[in-house]
Amino acid sequence: MHTHAEVEKFVVPIGPQHPALKEPGHFEFTVDGEMVTHASVRLGYVHRGIEKATEQRTWVQDLYLLERICGICSHTHATAFVLGVEKLAGIPAPPRAQAIRVLVAEMERIHSHLLWLGVAAHEAGFDTLFMYTWRDRETIMDLLEGLTGNRVNYSANVLGGVKFDVDAEQADSIRRGLDFLQERTEHYLEVIRRDEMFLRRTRGIGVMTQAEADEFGVVGPTARASGVARDIRIQAPYAAYDAYPVNLVVEHAGDLEARFIVRVRELLESYRLIRAILDALPEGELSKKLPRRIKSGETISRVEAPRGELFYFIQSGGGDKPTRVKVRTPTLCNLASVLTLVIGHQLADVPMILVGVDPCFSCNDRAVVLKSERDEKVWAWEQLRQYGIDFYRKGKA
Amino acid sequence: MSTESALQTATQLTAAWAKATTTPEANRVDISVAPSDLHSAVAALHGAHWGYLAAITGLDSPTTNEIELLYHFCQDAAVFTLRVSVPRDDAAVPTICDVMPSASLFEREVMEMFGAKIIGTPDTARLVLPDDWEEGVYPLRKDFVPTPDAQATKV
Repeated sequence: MHTHAEVEKFVVPIGPQHPALKEPGHFEFTVDGEMVTHASVRLGYVHRGIEKATEQRTWVQDLYLLERICGICSHTHATAFVLGVEKLAGIPAPPRAQAIRVLVAEMERIHSHLLWLGVAAHEAGFDTLFMYTWRDRETIMDLLEGLTGNRVNYSANVLGGVKFDVDAEQADSIRRGLDFLQERTEHYLEVIRRDEMFLRRTRGIGVMTQAEADEFGVVGPTARASGVARDIRIQAPYAAYDAYPVNLVVEHAGDLEARFIVRVRELLESYRLIRAILDALPEGELSKKLPRRIKSGETISRVEAPRGELFYFIQSGGGDKPTRVKVRTPTLCNLASVLTLVIGHQLADVPMILVGVDPCFSCNDRAVVLKSERDEKVWAWEQLRQYGIDFYRKGKA
Repeated sequence: MSTESALQTATQLTAAWAKATTTPEANRVDISVAPSDLHSAVAALHGAHWGYLAAITGLDSPTTNEIELLYHFCQDAAVFTLRVSVPRDDAAVPTICDVMPSASLFEREVMEMFGAKIIGTPDTARLVLPDDWEEGVYPLRKDFVPTPDAQATKV
């Protein structure tokens, strides 16, 4: 005979294999019945040694390498790097180039947030919203492709500027696309604020207070949903953000609902910002020439990626290669908060809380082994998701 | 609070432990502290709610036989960095996790990438390197040369 404690408490490993996730992670949740009592994470399944690799490549080669750290926010990585290198070289990019950098960055934010909205809706079992947001996301993907030639890895930046210009025709097609997205996004804001079924999956779930958010050092929309006014575009404007100021989007509830509202409101803010840029694009050249060797020194470059602050530390020894490039992605900051947040929550809420910080989750099969004294069964991510949906359909008994 | 006054506040908070102070960029101040003073300096910043720990950067310089750890704190545009130098063959600093639990992931990364011992850190498990990565091989040290048949291919 097993004692009650022995059979009721076990570890639920989730992951690591997950082809669609930027940073596949292996989570282990210790559960007591339905309640999560402990969580830990193991990363590195896609560790490619990029920081080391930058030391063996030239500044120009590194730009292309670093842009490939992430498929969703590739432009922010490239922007953080070029801004840092330009600072070291003492040669800032021309104003028109900086404006185009911001333009692409905001378009990237739109695609990233719409992607997230769809994935998060899917995890909640709201597949209609998932289908609609991903259909609408194609609008911005087409515009990005029209502008840069690529759906991902836009390669807009070069050291010293940008690669392409924006003409009047492209500007008009972007405006038309934004008009459509604006209408859709306002509708989504209504849905996530009003839909009773959806609110049962988001309201009061995964609450992080402002004090906790400060303590964990969370960044981006996750912090702003907890009332922490932390947005690098506003606090430390880079590229052309001082010429096109961003309005801070902040919510105070700190739950999943607030994280939805923050991201959807940020979409609206991005539309406004892009229109402002297109209406007042400064004239001038697109790039300055940077030397092959960069003056020695150290610099820190911080940019606001869709998921939060992206931190680059770049050190040059005066050669044609950097001596150190350190990259700290926003997901690393935010993951630590998840490990604490899930404690005390139902296992059924875990998918939603994980997705709530936007760790680049998408939906695919992943193995989950439920270990216990009695039996061992393998769950796919899909089954865990379905478990969450069924749990809420029956009602929290 | 302006960037200058924020940096001034941070400098004053940690003045007791600062061995050297530099201003590498307009929005930055770096101070060097001894490994034994790191914890006190972090606690002083944390106690005054000055910014948040944005990252821990490791730097390896074989020429001076030192590993340098940079604890970057950010408050708005201001970046305040505590620099700790330790010898390469005996790299050890105290943990700051008891003051800032969020440092755990950063400390785990520094441990496996640079071979710096973080004394008293709650979780010493590997964060990003594979399970069968050889003990004592630290990829971000300068003398580690990645080759096509390096350990990574074993996985």
